[in-house]
Amino acid sequence: MKLVDVMSAAGLSIYAIVALVLFMTAFVAIVIRTFAPSQASQHEYDARLPLSDDDQAPAQAGRGVTRG
Amino acid sequence: MSTRVDTFAYDDAIVRKFLWATFIWGLVGFLVGLLIALQLANPVFNFGLEFLSFGRLRPLHTNAVIFAFAGNAIFTGIYYSTQRLLKARMFSDGLSNFHFWGWQAIIVAAALTLPLGFTQAKEYAELEWPIDLAIAVVWVAFAINFVGTMVKRRERHIYVAIWFYIASIVTVAVLHIFNNLSVPAGPLKSYSLYAGVQDAFMQWWYGHNAVAFFLTTPFLGLMYYFMPKAAERPVFSYKLSILHFWTIVFLYIWAGPHHLHYTALPDWASTLGMLFSVMLWMPSWGGMINGLLTLRGAWNKVAEEPVLKFFVVAVTAYGMSTFEGPMLSVKSVNSLAHYTDWIIAHVHTGALGWNGFLTFGMIYWLAPRLFQAPLFSKKLAEVHFWIATFGILLYVASIYSAGITQGLMWRAFDETGRLAYPDFVETVMKLMPMYWVRVAGGSLYILGMLIFGYNILKTWMARPATYEVPLVTAAPLGAHAPEPHAAPAGGLVASFTSVKWHRRWEGAPVFFMVMVVVAVVVASLAEIIPTFLIKSNVPTIASVKPYTPLELAGRDIYIKEGCFNCHSQMVRPLRHETERWGEYSKPGEFVYDHPFLWGSRRIGPDLARLGGKYPDLWHVRHMEDPRSVVQRSIMPPYAHLQRKALDFDQIQSRVDAMVMLGVPYGDAVTNAPAMAREQAQAIAAGIESQGGPAGLADREIVALVAYLQRLGRDVRQLPATASAAPAAAVAPGGGK
Ligand code: HEC
Repeated sequence: MKLVDVMSAAGLSIYAIVALVLFMTAFVAIVIRTFAPSQASQHEYDARLPLSDDDQAPAQAGRGVTRG
Repeated sequence: MSTRVDTFAYDDAIVRKFLWATFIWGLVGFLVGLLIALQLANPVFNFGLEFLSFGRLRPLHTNAVIFAFAGNAIFTGIYYSTQRLLKARMFSDGLSNFHFWGWQAIIVAAALTLPLGFTQAKEYAELEWPIDLAIAVVWVAFAINFVGTMVKRRERHIYVAIWFYIASIVTVAVLHIFNNLSVPAGPLKSYSLYAGVQDAFMQWWYGHNAVAFFLTTPFLGLMYYFMPKAAERPVFSYKLSILHFWTIVFLYIWAGPHHLHYTALPDWASTLGMLFSVMLWMPSWGGMINGLLTLRGAWNKVAEEPVLKFFVVAVTAYGMSTFEGPMLSVKSVNSLAHYTDWIIAHVHTGALGWNGFLTFGMIYWLAPRLFQAPLFSKKLAEVHFWIATFGILLYVASIYSAGITQGLMWRAFDETGRLAYPDFVETVMKLMPMYWVRVAGGSLYILGMLIFGYNILKTWMARPATYEVPLVTAAPLGAHAPEPHAAPAGGLVASFTSVKWHRRWEGAPVFFMVMVVVAVVVASLAEIIPTFLIKSNVPTIASVKPYTPLELAGRDIYIKEGCFNCHSQMVRPLRHETERWGEYSKPGEFVYDHPFLWGSRRIGPDLARLGGKYPDLWHVRHMEDPRSVVQRSIMPPYAHLQRKALDFDQIQSRVDAMVMLGVPYGDAVTNAPAMAREQAQAIAAGIESQGGPAGLADREIVALVAYLQRLGRDVRQLPATASAAPAAAVAPGGGK
């Protein structure tokens, strides 16, 4: 008996649908959470993370880059 | 609460290593691309050498640019940004170096084995099983190093770029493992665990997601880090970036079947693939807009800063190709574009524009920081930008028109209802001028690459005698106040909550990884399981039998030479296709095809119905020198197949591997070499009697001819070839 026989006898196709539904639910939940107002201050903070360290390039002679 | 502060340094040496590897392999990959572009414009560039023929080099080109160039570029950016975003040195310098050298060794192994013809015949997964194992090991080392860094991080919050990296690391591992499951049949030979439709489904689940999780998500992570850096302002909308992330993770996985429209894939699967692909358009454009708007108020900087120029074009190219992708996955558009150069144009918008330009921009930004010297010349960077942009335009414009031209010619009927261009070669000749323009465009891009290399090299030469290693200070996670808005007032309760808080935050990445794995695996299974498991999806055809041992050996030669890079074996149920090639392909035809060889591009004619079309001798002559038979052919010559001895003894191990995969081989289980010899003798005798060269019975060409003559025979119920009735059953003129 091959794997195919075992699996097709097991009637798994319903799981695919269940998975799809769970999947969409999880996705919608994430979207709602993302746009929840309570997240705003955290997003503000997170968005600045890449800018939080100081890695200034060595200035080119004569025309140094200025940074605020 | 007293705060402990750590002092540490980032590991930039590893970033420098990856940076150089990116440049070197990029150049190699581009040059191989130029060579194969020349081969299509004029076959003399195959130089009559088997190692340099198109079928062998095309996978080298794709692997080199994807895994070597883009791969090293990703690692460059990840090692730089991860350490800084997480405020921690990489978990282990040893693992970082193992990752670096391991990856380069894999690339060298690929560069050696692919031209020698060791291939699994699955696009972007060509590398044979020992190399696949090595990839898995190196990838796991990378993953451990990455997760370790997350665990010891000093920044509680995880920036969205890191999310993209995590999703990439996890998903690539899953894809790589499942698509490469195979049964070894020798030290550098294996057969895919899956056959026919399943194998195709697996392959394009992988192929599509390799584009998603190797060429898209990691680069998006880089975009979300380096764009704000270069523009010196945060990303336009952080919310949008989160949404971008989750939609891509959730939707991409489902889209793979759009590579298989109108093939023998079940209809529901291809409709599903189309729907999800169209949905992908939204988040992708959200991401593009987010990237471009990050430059709001900084457009004056774009004019003077080449780094930003490269980023703007990169993000625009991302937008272009993610608009085009969904469009191409609409079945009607796909029926025109599939198998043509349109797909090649689409890919190069993404690869040259998005991946290439993001990499260049990133490295121009990184080089002065890593080499601690100002960029040698901004002007040269500017020149690079314009030359490369012009190169992309030439490439893409010419190859689009090539694709559309050929697609329209294939489907054109004249007023009497017959094919307007019945001669396939005519549709190839039409493309020649465009192929030359592509060569010009590609050359410009490479010229730009050389200027880039020179600029970086000069910058490097101006580096200090020893690199300064700046020390960074940051408090470890445990020392932080638990949350900015929940500072504990002291006492038992407070310390309890604070413990709970950082426990939770340290657990977050693990939870997050699990979520991504679940999303990816669930989607994959939901999509793949039904094709595998519901028998009715692949109706069997009684007349379809396994290949004879000799045909199997011939099929291996077809794989080794990479014929599938130019030839499809899949007739779509479209009128012009059935008119041109014959009966359309059914899923049941491929049940013994480990791996499937449907192909994705028709540079040459479809071969699904080839068996019996020509006499054996025709094939012998055609393979030896295609242009002696078809004057304007651009197929490479395969004269070596007449010289090289066929390894009959090896055939048994190949058959054994097939038997392990469940192919019913009957007598051949013990007797494969003898059966193969017998069939080979019959074919060779036939060739000789047709007036061809004598003494081919032990040469590779006989096996290949046996295989080619078998193609499509089973479903058409043609009289068997020499396989069953030895005495030269293949009459001159064959089935047509
Ligand atoms: C560079 C792309 C390319 C590669 C690689 C290639 N071919 Fe071709 N092939 C062509 C083109 C173009 C034609 C049409 C012109 C001709 O008949 O030579 C063709 C024609 C053919 C034909 C004749 C089909 C027909 O119906 O007339 C056969 C058979 C064939 N190729 C077999 C092979 C085999 C076997 C290999 C691998 C050993 C191979 N080809 C590799 C491009 C290629």
